[in-house]
Amino acid sequence: MKLISAKFQNFRLLRDLRLDFSTNDDRKLTVIRASNESGKTTILNALQWALYGDDALPNKGRGHRLFPIDWDVPDGRAIPISVQIDFEKPASESNRNQTNRYCLIRSVEETTEGLRQNSKVELLELTETGSVPIPPPLEAQISRLLLPPHLREVFFTDGDRALSFIESENNNTQVKNAIQSLLGLDVIESALDHLKKTLAGLNRDSKNIGSDTEITAIVTELEEIDQKVEGLENERDDAKLQFDAVNQSLTEIDKDLEAALVKGDQEELNRELQKAEAELKRIRNQEEKLVSQHSQLFRKQPLFRDLLAPVLEKSFEKLDELRDQGKLPRTTIPVLAERLTDVTCICGESLDQHSSDGKRRREHIERLISESQKSDEFQKCLTDLYYGSLALKPIEPDHEQHWIAEYKRNTIHRDELETRRKELEKALAALEVQLEDIGDTNIQELRDTKQDYIAQRDSLNHIRIEHERELERLKERQRSLTATRNNLISKRRRGKGILARLEATRDTDQILKNSYNRITNEELQKVSRLMNKLFLKMIGADAEQGAIIQKAEISDKFDILVYGPNERALNPDRDLNGASRRALTIAFILALTQVSEIAAPNVIDTPLGMMDGFVKRSVLKTAVQESSQLILFLTRSEIKDCEDIIVDEAGRIITITNSAHYPNILVNDPHINEPQALRCECKDLSECELCKRRTDVEVQIQQES
Amino acid sequence: MAQQYNNPFRNMTIISPRTQREDYDHYCQTGQGAKADKTPFPRKVDLWFAGLSVAVRKNLKPMDLKKEKTVSIISGDIFNTDGWQAQAIMLIAIAVDGDLEIVLDPRRMMDIANGLAAAGVPHIVKILNEGAESPIWNLSDAFEKLLQSGPVTEEQSIQDQLAEALYDL
Repeated sequence: MKLISAKFQNFRLLRDLRLDFSTNDDRKLTVIRASNESGKTTILNALQWALYGDDALPNKGRGHRLFPIDWDVPDGRAIPISVQIDFEKPASESNRNQTNRYCLIRSVEETTEGLRQNSKVELLELTETGSVPIPPPLEAQISRLLLPPHLREVFFTDGDRALSFIESENNNTQVKNAIQSLLGLDVIESALDHLKKTLAGLNRDSKNIGSDTEITAIVTELEEIDQKVEGLENERDDAKLQFDAVNQSLTEIDKDLEAALVKGDQEELNRELQKAEAELKRIRNQEEKLVSQHSQLFRKQPLFRDLLAPVLEKSFEKLDELRDQGKLPRTTIPVLAERLTDVTCICGESLDQHSSDGKRRREHIERLISESQKSDEFQKCLTDLYYGSLALKPIEPDHEQHWIAEYKRNTIHRDELETRRKELEKALAALEVQLEDIGDTNIQELRDTKQDYIAQRDSLNHIRIEHERELERLKERQRSLTATRNNLISKRRRGKGILARLEATRDTDQILKNSYNRITNEELQKVSRLMNKLFLKMIGADAEQGAIIQKAEISDKFDILVYGPNERALNPDRDLNGASRRALTIAFILALTQVSEIAAPNVIDTPLGMMDGFVKRSVLKTAVQESSQLILFLTRSEIKDCEDIIVDEAGRIITITNSAHYPNILVNDPHINEPQALRCECKDLSECELCKRRTDVEVQIQQES
Repeated sequence: MAQQYNNPFRNMTIISPRTQREDYDHYCQTGQGAKADKTPFPRKVDLWFAGLSVAVRKNLKPMDLKKEKTVSIISGDIFNTDGWQAQAIMLIAIAVDGDLEIVLDPRRMMDIANGLAAAGVPHIVKILNEGAESPIWNLSDAFEKLLQSGPVTEEQSIQDQLAEALYDL
């Protein structure tokens, strides 16, 4: 089966998007180039939803919105959502050159409250004359024509989720389930179920072979044990399933948490925003003060002292001349007047008005005062002017109190504040965008939810362990009772036949179980060998050259193991670097799909994250070689250093851009009002006006500021 | 000294030609909601004094206000607080008149100052409006340039004014 194209309508960010995939056997690779938050994971989810419905959505679709988040529906009308997938499949196993084409359309209407209605699936065979509806049951037809649901997570995966095969605490369950899901052992499983029922029937029959109360009591207890075992096994399996589901949710919430933390902590960002706003307010106030100070420069003395200096020099010269002549300051009258209050003149003679000399002298002084008073007003005025205007006298050329110096200080300060204000305004805008970007993501809420999941997982694990312990005890009791019962039955004539049938049934059961395990183990070995081969090739490890990683295998307990020199075991989760861990999981997935012999597309989201150089190129090349159709969602950083391989191997390269990334990331305005994944028609890996991005340096500066 | 200062221009009026009244309203912050970047002068008297100083610096010929219709800008009482402005007016009057005794004639000193301010204000208004920046920056840059240039002779002043008039044409 190969995917030909997919068309998405109103599926979250995919408001109206069509993707065409390469179906060319010589160019098996399709690359969807998209940055983070451009819709890669949404496309992966949408494809799986189209094929398998809500079960394929995170949390089985519960609480998972499908419509675009900013959709504003008038009158509360529901939003039509649809995904259409065109695919082809060989007409028959013997004739793989001739293909039939099909079209699968899944649609639903969703209200903004998350209520889904009018869910509809259509499967059509496309013929030269038109389309022919495929009759129901459609689920079975989809499973037959496309891919059985249990293989979904093997063929549709992402780099992070795939890591759970080696990172999860109970990865062996996941690996076992994945391998068993490929084998198609339905017949053996139903035969085992049938034998179980037969054994229960024979057990009941053994009650009727006589009136032996001992046998009856044993058989009754065995029946009770059977019921208990069945109940416990169901509960244990249920707990296992729930455990896996919770584990998956934990992986997803970890991913959400990590993504949210990369975007930023909302509370922390709000604190930063408030701090920046307060700082901005402070700077704006300072700026206002400086503008006011600037304005005061046109009121204060320095400007006019400096402006008038060449002219006022003449006036000062005249005043200085008077001062040099002793005419300024005006001191005569005060001195003379002061003497009159005394009885002794400056010269030491008496000024006593009762003596004739003193009287004469006093009259002389009074005459002098009267004469001085004539020029007093003029002199007083000049004296006041002389001393009052000292501050208007020119100052040294380099003096810091010159108006130009003050003006320059003010300008520098204003410029500094303006620069700081602009930086802060940018930082504020960036913070607001970041906050908007985070939306309602509450990191504390995510952490709380994670803790809830961990508690649930631990509780389920506890239930499972308890149940297994109880099952072990019951089976031991079962074995003991069975032996006693068989011994008692064998002593009865009628009992021999029942015992023979019981033994035959038990033997058959054992044979079937052995076969089941053998087939599983054989397939396991095949997957293990192929995984090892692909993995070593991907990481360029040559055992003969003394590479640190010598071998990878899947043990008979379904553990993925990695070995170093001297068969020393390495823990894939702890001892491998990020690139090798991803390479190992991709090697496992490719090996699984190869061994299954199911020809279906491998659709992988961000498979090359954390990789660079040789490993990245090698993983990409190997993935292309080992897939029948490979659809990769890659970021630009994943593409880096692999451009030549992509250009050589890809039959289609599509770039998806999120319109909401303008103006922070995109250079040009896409003129789209709402966030939407847009496809551009870039040739190969070039950039067009739509997807042209700011350089990393620009973005970094903007974020820092 | 400032405390002993006696304002010779108290009870007198600072005037300007009526044609300049709008300039005082437009470029001084005495109006409501004025922004300093656009209206750089805190008070009307500051524009008047700037006009006076520019006229002195550029050696402009005082305007004969007896031939003009005039309006009152503000009372000379304003110099009660800023004594240095009154003293600058007196020093200007001495420089212009050449006789120290002019200090005994406040009316004459004020006439000289009003005439010079009326000659200088149009220059200031022109500066405020010319230039790519807001008025406060245009004015600052022009003052910086003016302060860096040397004294202007009467002959140079006439040439400058002629050149400006021709440029305006």
